[in-house]
Amino acid sequence: MIRMDQGLKRCSWIVVVMLLLCGLPAWAQSQSAASNAPAAAAQPPAPAMDAPLNVKTAQPPSTDDLVKGDPSGTKTGTVNDVIVSDTNKGVTLADTVNQVGQNRIAINFVWTLITGFLVMFMQAGFAIVETGLCRAKNANHTMMMNFMVYGFGLFAFWVCGFALQMGGCAPAGTLGGANPLNSEHTISLLGKAWGIFGTRGFFLSGTTYDVAIMVLFLFQMVFMDTALTIVTGAAAERWKYIAFAVSSVFMGAITYPLFANWAWGGGWLSQLGVNFGLGHGYADFAGSGVVHAVGGVTALAMAMIIGPRIGKFNRNGTPNAMPGHDIVIVLTGCFILAFGWFGFNPGSTLGASGNGALRIGSIAVNTMLAGCTGSFGALLYMWMRYGKPDASMTGNGLLAGLVAITAPSGFVNTVSSAIIGLVAGVLVCLSVEFVERVLKVDDPVGAISVHGTNGLWGVISVGLFADGASNYGGSWNGVNGPVRGLFYGDASQLIAQLIGVGTLIGFVFGLSYAANFVIDLVVGQRVSAEDELAGLDIPEMGALCYPEFVLKPDSMPVGVSASRTTEMATPPLRVAQETA
Amino acid sequence: MKLIGLLMAFAGWLIPVVALVLTQSTAARMIVSLLGIAISLVGILVVMNKAHLKNAIWKP
Repeated sequence: MIRMDQGLKRCSWIVVVMLLLCGLPAWAQSQSAASNAPAAAAQPPAPAMDAPLNVKTAQPPSTDDLVKGDPSGTKTGTVNDVIVSDTNKGVTLADTVNQVGQNRIAINFVWTLITGFLVMFMQAGFAIVETGLCRAKNANHTMMMNFMVYGFGLFAFWVCGFALQMGGCAPAGTLGGANPLNSEHTISLLGKAWGIFGTRGFFLSGTTYDVAIMVLFLFQMVFMDTALTIVTGAAAERWKYIAFAVSSVFMGAITYPLFANWAWGGGWLSQLGVNFGLGHGYADFAGSGVVHAVGGVTALAMAMIIGPRIGKFNRNGTPNAMPGHDIVIVLTGCFILAFGWFGFNPGSTLGASGNGALRIGSIAVNTMLAGCTGSFGALLYMWMRYGKPDASMTGNGLLAGLVAITAPSGFVNTVSSAIIGLVAGVLVCLSVEFVERVLKVDDPVGAISVHGTNGLWGVISVGLFADGASNYGGSWNGVNGPVRGLFYGDASQLIAQLIGVGTLIGFVFGLSYAANFVIDLVVGQRVSAEDELAGLDIPEMGALCYPEFVLKPDSMPVGVSASRTTEMATPPLRVAQETA
Repeated sequence: MKLIGLLMAFAGWLIPVVALVLTQSTAARMIVSLLGIAISLVGILVVMNKAHLKNAIWKP
């Protein structure tokens, strides 16, 4: 018993010591907090917004210091550079806060403008890819289409395209508001308001003469021009230049802005989430649908109306290869496009500061990964099917991966990006074969497959792979929370994407077809057979692209003989040379 | 035939849009959306394309 008592006493002491050990730090912390409380209470109140700040603590460099130069960079960009509203007061808290706000918007302006400049440079990539895939006798004509589509599109977009697209999109928070763009024309149908087109910003005049709107215009304009230039590839080597001009102006003024309004300008597709509970509405981060699929389905409409090049198909319907004239500029163009895509996708945050815009790094990595796996997919497909790692189709695989990741780039992780790109790489090969061999539609550069098919795949992939990790200011298209696809728990997002796909195929194709059919009736879309056989450089443009070359006239008649066909088309070439 | 194909393309777009009001079932909306896309594709790739190929430049 005595031993037990002693044991109990020891245990009691141990417990007491442990309690003390545990309690002491807590007591010390509480004492510390208590002792700090009066100190905190004793802190001086925050200065009034217009009260001058004591800038001496910032240790600004003196005038004497500054005249010595600043090789280390430590004296440049200090409190001396804060803009003051009243020189008598010096720097106030209000000045400082305003400077912080303007710095954020300035960062976003510069980011959006520079990425817009990158997208503009993609025009050069498209131009040389398409020209390289065409025959030398049409090089001037193809280059001039790609060159002037920029001007035609820009002009049409300035006149009315931008207003129709973005006239009701405000507010654009990352750019400081763009508040004058606040008028969307809606119609009431089936008990809901459907945004159809914007009505502010024609000629960028009136209240839309605004710094933020100028930035937004530049960025949206280069996107629109990308869509327009896709069509020139599908109709290359036989498109009458005047018809091309009229068609491009129509697309830049009407077709593209309408769909872009529905997706990005506050139109009905973007409101499918708010109005019908379909996820976050149609989500297209950088334009797989808005830019590439619009260009791709319009390219299909044009290629159907204008018909195949003379000699493309034999009398029995089998296709002939019509190899491009310069694979070097084709692949160089692909690299330029891949470079420009870093403007296309990361730039679509419209800023680098605030509202989740720091995701630009993730978006850039997703972009390069999908391009990489896209080229893998196409290369492996061609190698396995035809025994050679075909160059032009590999280039197309790169572009297909980039096109497909454009819509989901802001919503998915790297693994999904790799999968999306790989699928796109294989899909572009299958699509090129289907368009040529089953549909018997002649697409000299593969624009329908690269931009149309994979643009649609990109739109669908948002509804499958969006992982719910992105958070651009807490909501997307007016619906709170991040975008999730089917594989991450939101099947309704996939429905919104499918309705977007249906709109692209049904409405955009239909409108493009109808408009170009009318243009065909009025001015004629196709050059004469004589001009086509001679090459369009002299008949349409008045000058050869390569005047010192001796061009072999193409006298291949309609329904070229089967023996000639076999000579020309080894299996890899039959598909590979018809791409971009 | 070109006009019929064009009308099918438009119809394939409108059907799922109208169906949004008629049902709130996710499965039904999904099916109707896919059906609409199929109708549009048939209209374009089969009906319209066949009409264009009828007088194709390479045909005898």
